[in-house]
This record gives sequence, structure tokens and C-alpha cells, in this order.
Amino acid sequence: MNDKVVHCEDSRLEVLLSGGEASDLFLQSSEHIQSCERCQKRLTELAGPEKSWRQIGKLLNSVSEYETTKETESMPDYRADLEGILDAPSHPELLGRLGRYEIERVIGSGGMGIVLRGFDSDLNRPVAIKILARHLAHSGAARQRFARESRAAAAVVHEHVVAIHNVETGGPTPFLVMQYVAGESLQARVDQSGPLDAKEVLRIGIQAAAGLHAAHEQGVIHRDIKPANILLEHGVDRALVTDFGLARTVDDATLTQTGIIAGTPHYMSPEQANGGATDERTDLFSLGAVLYFMATGRPPFRAEHALGVLNRICNGPHKPLWRVNPDVPDELSEIVDRLLEKKPKRRFAGAADVQNALTQCLARLQQRGPRRYGRLIRLWRRHRKVVATIALAVAAVVGLVLLFPATDGDQSSGTAPAIELPEFSVEIWQQASEDEERQWQQSLQEVDQMLTRLEAESARSDTGTSQHWDAQVESIEKQLNQLQDDDFLQP
Amino acid sequence: MTSPVPDTRESLILRLPDRQDVEAWDEFTAIYQPLVYRLARVKGLQHADAQELVQEVMLAVSRAVDRWEPDAQRGRFRDWLFCISRNLMINFLTRKKHRPLGSGDSGIERLLRDQCDPASEQSQLYDLEYQREVFRQVAAQVRTEVNEKAWQAFWRSSVENQAIEAVAGQLGMSVGAVYIARSRILARLRRSAAKYLAADHSESDGLVRGNR
Repeated sequence: MNDKVVHCEDSRLEVLLSGGEASDLFLQSSEHIQSCERCQKRLTELAGPEKSWRQIGKLLNSVSEYETTKETESMPDYRADLEGILDAPSHPELLGRLGRYEIERVIGSGGMGIVLRGFDSDLNRPVAIKILARHLAHSGAARQRFARESRAAAAVVHEHVVAIHNVETGGPTPFLVMQYVAGESLQARVDQSGPLDAKEVLRIGIQAAAGLHAAHEQGVIHRDIKPANILLEHGVDRALVTDFGLARTVDDATLTQTGIIAGTPHYMSPEQANGGATDERTDLFSLGAVLYFMATGRPPFRAEHALGVLNRICNGPHKPLWRVNPDVPDELSEIVDRLLEKKPKRRFAGAADVQNALTQCLARLQQRGPRRYGRLIRLWRRHRKVVATIALAVAAVVGLVLLFPATDGDQSSGTAPAIELPEFSVEIWQQASEDEERQWQQSLQEVDQMLTRLEAESARSDTGTSQHWDAQVESIEKQLNQLQDDDFLQP
Repeated sequence: MTSPVPDTRESLILRLPDRQDVEAWDEFTAIYQPLVYRLARVKGLQHADAQELVQEVMLAVSRAVDRWEPDAQRGRFRDWLFCISRNLMINFLTRKKHRPLGSGDSGIERLLRDQCDPASEQSQLYDLEYQREVFRQVAAQVRTEVNEKAWQAFWRSSVENQAIEAVAGQLGMSVGAVYIARSRILARLRRSAAKYLAADHSESDGLVRGNR
């Protein structure tokens, strides 16, 4: 009896509630509670009053109901959105009718509204119909903008722009009838098959730039160029730009009221992100971001949150394309750099110039194929001054190797001096006077030429020498990279 | 919930020099976003509209943070945040039709300042949904921290209201072990929920206080 009184103290039960489960006291008390009803009841009370047991149980019970219904809640229900918009279908398998268009199914939905696949019964062709979302249709400003912008966009006729057949803004539900493109968006393509190779990037880029140029000629600015707005037609793999001018319809209804940017901000230009004045060159920036996305599988400016992305777009440098994907030709990397300039006037003057630059790049790429030592040469070109000292030293090694054709055995003797060079050469650099610097410039050119020659020769040389070269080049490259990472994080 | 809510966190970090305040904001968004969404759905908004409302509300609150000044009288940032948000949402629930919150500062100011009638139907709905969200999150957290058998002992005996003996039999535990497991977990849930419910004006006292 006495024993029991000792065990029934609250302090012992407290140990059960919040103490460590391995302590002796815990084990003793848990043994005791097995049989002591009084302590079972008291422990329950100590955990919480009866009311809280009841309430928490009820709350969690309803939570579990909510959890199971959540899946279906987040599934968009188009039927409700389409209710009252479509007339009864003429055929039971169809969704409904909208004017002279038979609606077959919902293709998707975006910030602007629902996209339907329909059939134009008069002209006997498939069409895509974009219905302005209900909240936009109710906004007078959005309606007007929608009518104006889509009429302007309808004037753009080009093989790389999705044609707008018809704009209906009279009825209660404004909608847009467009050419139906059987295919997928660039976003879907890259999501599925990863980054595209350089030639494909260039090909799609050229077509998109051509489409943009045609629109800009008509005074139509896209303002929302992104991978999801570039469609790739199946079979022929033609790229078409879609949704011209629609970005501002959404802006009018949502952006100005809430200050929140609809959709992805990843492809926005700095002037857009700042809310500044925009012109055709905003599309060029976005096109640059799209090219970047195609080549790497991700947009150039990334952050955990939308505001972080906008901040990077306005203030942060992007990581050069060639550093993310070494297979990207230098020229393409430079074109993208120029498109992603923060100041519009530092970008290309127009889409036609971009198209030309990309076309030339593609032509050169097809002519000569990928460079064998492209990365090394690239490092050289980007860091002429810094790399110069090392390159000079390397030239000495190169000279030696050229004089004494390598055998497999002396690879180690070839790489050893190269490792010791950097500290030594930096000293030289620091001591260099202006005269020496001029001499240097000359040497730099020589090294440049030598490297180019090396590249050309290496393609012809036999395997034994080639292996040796590869080892050499690798060690040089490693050092250049090291140097770059240490001191020149921002090229 | 996967909603494209633009995160105001980064700019807030600049505005809130106190690290604890940033943590408070994180906790706040975790609880508040799904809460607003659910209330909007309860009020009959479509999925997309509800998501848009979440965005609007988060933005309105983040703008209001500009007006937050550490002040002994106003209490902690967390309390203040939850208090203005409650007013904002109850006000929304009271309005007949959804109108955008707008960017007029005077409008928001008023929303934030107004005290809502705690006895009104909307206040009660809000408080219930709020508690539900708090416990949903706290439960999800605690569940990851305890062993699954103990969690089941708690869940079956107190949420599903099964008899202790039956639960002990199902789980192969002793009756005493079931008592211990469920009590430990309930105490833990109340402890974790306390900091969210302390700021709440509602009758949540019984949920987290008392007896201890």
C-alpha cells in the first residue's frame, strides 16, 4: 500500500509524459501504470484536460478528411469554368459549341484562361480557342486590352508565328481563335528530353527570332517570351511563337491590382521586372533566356522564390553559358551574353540582327564541327592577360615537345614543369614594365596562333602523339581552370 | 498546397533585421497560406480564384510589415502578424462578394486596424479553421518525431475514439504503453501548438493551457 502511494505521485507521471524513455524512473513508472487505473486516468489529465483531448481529436479527425479530399480539390475543374460559356454540343462526344466552333476538348489552361481544341465547321479546319478567364473577362481594362492587342497580333502573318484567325470580343466571353499546332511546347520538350544540342538550339533560336522580327515589324511586342510560348510542330519540327501581346491583358487585370506577377518570372527582362518602359528589346532579353534554357535545361536566373529571381534578373550576372555547358560553342555563348545585357541599348538592335548572328553561328558550326580543344582555347580567349604568363610557359613546353616528339614513356617529364609554373609566372607579371607589356601583347598573339595551330594539327596526328597531347592539354587546362576559380570568379 | 505564391520572404528579410522575426514569418506563411486557401474554398471560390486570393492576402500582409515597428506595447512580431491576418481574413469572410484587396494603403490600414467581433459567425469559422491548420501542421511534424506505433496508439485511441484495450490488442502493446504513448503525444502536440495559439484571440485556451 505504501509502495503504491509513492508511485502515484504526479512527478513520476511527468517523467512518463516528457522524460527520457530509457531512464530507470521511466521504466519503473511505466510498469506501474500498466495496472494502476488511477494513474492511467491521472496521466491522461496531466497530458491535457478532457476538453482538449476531445477538441484535438475532433480537429485532427477533420484534418484527415481534408487530407483525403485534397487531391481532388487541387485538380482544376474545367467543367465549372466552362459552364455557361459553351452551348450544347451537336454531338454527344464533344464538349460543346462556341459560335461556329465545335469544341472537342480542353488542351490546357494558363494565366489568361482556358485553351480548347475546336473545329471550325465553316472552314473545315482544326483550331485552338483561347477563352479569356472569367476574372479577366469581368475586368473592363483587360477586355479592352485583349481586344486591342489580339487584333494587332492577328495582323502578324509569319511562318514562325501562330496565326490568329479570329477575335471575338462582343459576347459575354471574349475569345481568340488560333491556328491549331499539333506538337509540344519547348518547355515540354526540354523537360522530357533535357538540354538540346547546339545545332538544335540555334535552329529553334533562328526561327523564334524570325517570328519576333515579323511581329516587331508590325509594332507588336510579345512581352512574355518563354519556353511555354514556343511551340514545336510535330514531324516538321517547325518552331512557332504564340500568345503575342496577351501578357499585358493579364497585367491589366492582375498585376496593377495586386502587384503580383502572374506566371513564371524567369524570362522577364530587367526593365519589365523594374516596371520600367519596355520596347522590342525586352523580347530579345527573354529570347536570350530561352536560348540559355534550351542549352542548359534551366533558366539563367534562378532563386528559391519569385522575388529572388527578379532581383537576380535586375542585379545579378548570369553564369556564362559555356561554363554551365562546355559543349556550347563560344559564339552562341557570346550571343546569349549580349541578349542578356541588363541595359537594352547594349543588346542587339533588333530581332533581325539576332537571327543573322545565330544563322552565322550555325553555318560555322556545321562547317567545322565541334572544336577539339575548344575549352582550352576558350579559357585562353577569356582570360588573355591572366593566362598569358602560363600560356607563355606552356609554349615553352609545347616547343620542347615539338622538338622532341613524345614517346609514351616521358609523359611525366612533360607535365612536371607545367605544375610549377603559376607562382613563378605571376612574379614575372608583377615585374613587367610597360615596354615588356608591349612585347607581351605580341607574344600573346603568337601563343594564340600556336594554340590554334595545335588544335588543327592535333586532328591530323597519329594516336601515340595524340594521347600525349591529350595528357598535356589536360594538365594545362586543369591549371587554367584552377587559376580561374581562385582569382577570377566573375569572368 | 502547391500554389504559385510569390514569396515575399527575401525582401522581408531585409526589412526584418531580427532573425527570430524571419522565422516567425516562415511559420506564419506555412500556416496561413493553406488556411486562406481553405477559407476561400469554404466561401465558394474556385481553385484558381482561391489561389489568387492567397496571393493577394500574402501581399497585403507583407506590405503591412512595413508598418511593423518593434514596440513593447504591440508585443511580439508573431503575435502582431497573426492578429492583423486574422482581422484581414475575417473581414474578407464578412464581405458578400470578393473584391480585390486593392493597393490603396488606406483600405488595408483600416482592415488591419479594425477589431472584429469575436462572437460573429465569421470569427468562429476563422478560429476553427485556424486551429485546424495549426494542428494539421503540428501533427505532421510530431508524427515524424515519434515512432509510428506510438503515433498509431494515439491516433486510434483519441482521434478515432477506439477503446484503449482494443488499440493495445491491435498494436501488440500493453495497455499501460498505450496510455503513455497517447498522453506523451497529446502533451507534445499541445506544447508545439501553444506558440501559435497563444497569439490567437479565440477560445483556444483549453487546447493548449491548463493542468500544466
